[in-house]
Amino acid sequence: MSAMTIDDIEGRTWRRACALDAVPEDEGLRLGTLPPVAVFVQDEEVFCLDDTCTHDTYSLAEGWVEDGAVECTLHLAKFDLRTGMPLRPPASVPVAVHPVKVVDGDVYVALPNAYLTKE
Amino acid sequence: MATPVSGLVDPDRGYVNPAIYADQAIYEQELELVFGRSWLFLAHGSQLPNRGDFVQTYMGEDPVLVVRQRDGSVKAFLNQCRHRGMRICRSDEGTSKTFTCTYHGWAYDLEGNLINVPLEDRAYRNEIDKSKWGALKVPRVAEYKGFYFGTWSEEAPEFEEYLGDMAYYFDAVVGRWDNGLEFVGGTSKWVIDCNWKFASEQFASDIYHAQSSHASALMALVDNPAYWAGISYQSQTPGRQFGGNGHGAGSFWSEALGGPDPTYGTGDYAAWVAANKDEVFRNVGEDRALRVAGHNTIFPNFSWLGSPATMRVWHPRGPGQIEVWAWTYVPKDAPEEVKADIRLGTQRTFSPAGSFETDDGENWTEIQQVLRGWKARHNTFNAQMGLGHEERDVHGQPGETNDAFSETAARGFYRRWADLMSGLSWSEIAELDAERQATATAVPQEVREV
Repeated sequence: MSAMTIDDIEGRTWRRACALDAVPEDEGLRLGTLPPVAVFVQDEEVFCLDDTCTHDTYSLAEGWVEDGAVECTLHLAKFDLRTGMPLRPPASVPVAVHPVKVVDGDVYVALPNAYLTKE
Repeated sequence: MATPVSGLVDPDRGYVNPAIYADQAIYEQELELVFGRSWLFLAHGSQLPNRGDFVQTYMGEDPVLVVRQRDGSVKAFLNQCRHRGMRICRSDEGTSKTFTCTYHGWAYDLEGNLINVPLEDRAYRNEIDKSKWGALKVPRVAEYKGFYFGTWSEEAPEFEEYLGDMAYYFDAVVGRWDNGLEFVGGTSKWVIDCNWKFASEQFASDIYHAQSSHASALMALVDNPAYWAGISYQSQTPGRQFGGNGHGAGSFWSEALGGPDPTYGTGDYAAWVAANKDEVFRNVGEDRALRVAGHNTIFPNFSWLGSPATMRVWHPRGPGQIEVWAWTYVPKDAPEEVKADIRLGTQRTFSPAGSFETDDGENWTEIQQVLRGWKARHNTFNAQMGLGHEERDVHGQPGETNDAFSETAARGFYRRWADLMSGLSWSEIAELDAERQATATAVPQEVREV
């Protein structure tokens, strides 16, 4: 199985998230985990972040993706896709970022073991 | 309490009291009873190609957002935050996923539902019911051949019934091409200090002004007396004017489908229309293609011309001012050089600096200036041209028509205006219309083929 080529990360579990081409061009793809996470693609690079804006409860997957950042459409809070750091108020708390690999056109994400997923 | 307007216009005798163009109380009543109850143009589909695309426009003086939804439909809502009334979206047009008021950050989805209030837990103790505080929705939006119209009225007839016989004249322009029309991007906006009815009524009912008002523009365009007898200025060419349901359309009859006037632009458009006339004839029929285009208004304030390819809304701004919002329309399938020619021809003629446009604006602002006078506002205007010479369903053109040089559409425009301003319900208006049609004396008249 191709996932074997991915190194294990302690405290995290690799899971197939989606097909790479299922991620929309200008927004994210929200995954049905708890807490929810979202996959973003920017300039052929793939990212996975917690989906919920740390300013208020809203899905970052619905946001605008450009210049290496995702902007929440509600109040324009902006987060660095690489680090999860807030780039613009009203957000002041980072969102968690998660390791990502693409194997054979599929996106795999390593989520903390505490995250609930549907099997 | 509605101001009585019955004494101010008398469509049956062709009298208009000019107070209707200058009085603030009448204007306020128009916002409620005319603009609040009529179908108003919102947008053309080509302005909203993708989900989340929106334009901001006005229904009367009320700002509305017109938005392409995720399911492809188009919805509209009042662009006013329910918290303190700020404009929810301050852009003229764009693409969005949500709309957030810049004042306190209340956020709405593409339908205008309130989806977020900042600090909902601390500030509102989670006691606000967001479902009750969405933006005010335009309850009815109708799509007609790519054009979107909306009304606040739950009672107004369905849009096609509201159009009535005007559909025949509207289709002549918007139904010509297999793949329809599109708007050239962007809205041209300018202000004219005049009452909105001067513009709406003229586009419904008035080719009569052209030979006088536009003489100098004609000379500026082409310095050749032979050209000055051109179709729009022809007193010798047969033509008809339609009036019905407050709408109006007038056109001279052409011998051949080549219009628009090639001197407006490079001639590429006229040549392309002539080369593709079979498509036009197949879609709207040869008679209609040759006899309908001209000047047009859908009541109350959406107008277009068939030759210079302009469409516009006359947004009212008080009794003495309008904002003109205009678009150049082009056949979607036309080649780029043809679209460029259409833009050029329309810019030269009917645009903020267009030669004919500025003639019209000069007349309307001057009339409005004169109406500052007390005597002037208590005078009586004559709208009697062709009175009593209307015919119904003649020359293959549906509805009530008259000679191209008449004011049938103007009288119809003021009749519908007065119906609405009197506070009559739409069902009462429908009954009245049926009575009027039944009692109209059918006197056969010859068409004025001079």
